[in-house]
Amino acid sequence: MERISKGAKFYLAFVMIILYAPIFFLIFYSFNSGDSMVNFESFTLDHYKAVFEDDRLLIILINTIIVALLSALFSTIIGTLGAIGIASMRNRKLRNTMLSMNNVLIVSPDVIIGASFLILFTMVGIKLGFTSVLLGHIAFSIPIVVIMVLPKLQEMNNSLIDAARDLGASKRDILTRVIIPYIKPGIFAGFFMALTYSLDDFAVTFFVTGNGFSTLSVEIYSMARAGVSLTVNAISGLVFFVTIILVLGYHFISIRKTKVGVRK
Amino acid sequence: MSENTIISFENVSKSYSDGTQVLKDVSFELERGKFYTLLGPSGCGKTTILRLIAGFMEPTEGDIFFNGKKINKVPANERQVNTVFQDYALFPHLNVFENVAFGLRIQKVAEAEIKQRVEEALKFVNLAGYGVREIPEMSGGQRQRVAIARAIVNDPEIILLDEPLSALDLKLRTEMQYELRELQQRLGKTFIFVTHDQEEALAMSDEIFVLNEGNIQQSGTPVDIYDEPINRFVADFIGESNIISGIMVRDFVVSMNGQEFECVDQGLNPNEKVDVVVRPEDLELTSVEKGKLVVTVDSQLFRGVHYELSTYDEAGNEWLVHSLKQADVGAKIGLDFDPEAIHIMRLNETEEDFDKRLESYGAESDEK
Repeated sequence: MERISKGAKFYLAFVMIILYAPIFFLIFYSFNSGDSMVNFESFTLDHYKAVFEDDRLLIILINTIIVALLSALFSTIIGTLGAIGIASMRNRKLRNTMLSMNNVLIVSPDVIIGASFLILFTMVGIKLGFTSVLLGHIAFSIPIVVIMVLPKLQEMNNSLIDAARDLGASKRDILTRVIIPYIKPGIFAGFFMALTYSLDDFAVTFFVTGNGFSTLSVEIYSMARAGVSLTVNAISGLVFFVTIILVLGYHFISIRKTKVGVRK
Repeated sequence: MSENTIISFENVSKSYSDGTQVLKDVSFELERGKFYTLLGPSGCGKTTILRLIAGFMEPTEGDIFFNGKKINKVPANERQVNTVFQDYALFPHLNVFENVAFGLRIQKVAEAEIKQRVEEALKFVNLAGYGVREIPEMSGGQRQRVAIARAIVNDPEIILLDEPLSALDLKLRTEMQYELRELQQRLGKTFIFVTHDQEEALAMSDEIFVLNEGNIQQSGTPVDIYDEPINRFVADFIGESNIISGIMVRDFVVSMNGQEFECVDQGLNPNEKVDVVVRPEDLELTSVEKGKLVVTVDSQLFRGVHYELSTYDEAGNEWLVHSLKQADVGAKIGLDFDPEAIHIMRLNETEEDFDKRLESYGAESDEK
């Protein structure tokens, strides 16, 4: 590959700085012993301490994680089966229609999805709270899983299924022994996408959550509205830190995989 | 239907929903333990026949029998048939051992027996010790063998091979032809091999079915089909040939371009229009005076074993000649051939009539 020029390097660095500056600004002031982001007085970990001493906040954190894990799990199961269904459709028109309907759900604004869920849940009579948030998250994650799994299915050679049938496999055997192992990377990718979408969702949760139940993003939002507190900065700093660890972890796993692949 | 018949097709037709008919009223019987080849150009219906036997398709009309039982609606996973696919269709997420063991695991065979049978199958295809390899580590020829091992390990009655050699290079392909033939003889199973490569078909088969446009054109041993093609299509498809239209003047005499030649065919109507086939290797270079035919050499290719000459007679017919001797391009030469080299094909003759006619020659020569 051609080496990038100095100008291009400078440009890249510039863009990266612009993108990361606000986050670092936020994190920087989370160590401020004063109570505003105007001037930095001295270094302190008080705000982090406040986060960990705040039981309410910890419960919200646990709620967020539970909702994310559960919604990712259910949406992965439903989305994978849906993708298999779409991929096996013979009728091309019908298949493309299904796919487009799936994609519309991904690109449509969260506010609309959130508002429509709110109407639906109140009409059906589901109590707003954990259940409604979980259902909402599962619903908006399914199209994402479908879109992550489908390419793997399309890449799969149909003769593999013929071969499995030829060797005596029933429909169930084909699904569990051939299709699912083959599309496993897509399923994992879909699961993690659903997980991150659920973790950072604000709009849908904001609409469908009720009294006594909140997730981190909604909570940060209301804290920030209530007035500037550096606790928000501390939480953001922690979330950012966890994100970095996750990304690094993913990076090292994928490196190990490619190395194994090369050895083969 | 004889005791030995394993598969029989009775008036089988297959059409797709869009109306295209890929098989037209096909009937045949296959005997146990033989090596059959379905040969034809792409789109002739040979793969359709294979898929009908495997159970991936159902016939639109007609019946398929397996060991005397009708199997039209029996699904693929319940048939005693295994296929070696064109692209091998090995499972990429499983290693070699698990690929071969796949069918046995589905049947819930005991672990110890699986191990023993898989290792035996791998040994059979000369891949002993390769069990732990992953599929991407294997070369094309090795994958081919894994696919064969995966088919034979289930001990099916019939093994179907769908152009399994087409992805290999020439040398490996020739090697695999020997191996497949030998494997079939050692296993004693019925092999049904689909190919568009006439050399493969001639080299390996006990019997060849030549197909075109959904019909069986001719079936017979490789020698029969090569020496006595039934029509222009078969003669042209199997090996290279010179096909000239002619007129059967009387028994043992055929005329091409107004010139009469001695031949060994008889029993046709006098002055009947026919196609005459002469194989290029049956033509011999000689001097203009001695030649039965006089032709001008148009071009010459060196093919390694022989020279391939493209020549034209005075009427403008092309004569392909395979010769060990070189000729000068542009020169006039004579071509000599035996009466036996001439093979007469009646126009639009059915396979049944054709076989009868050939048999009558045999009977008469026996009387003599």
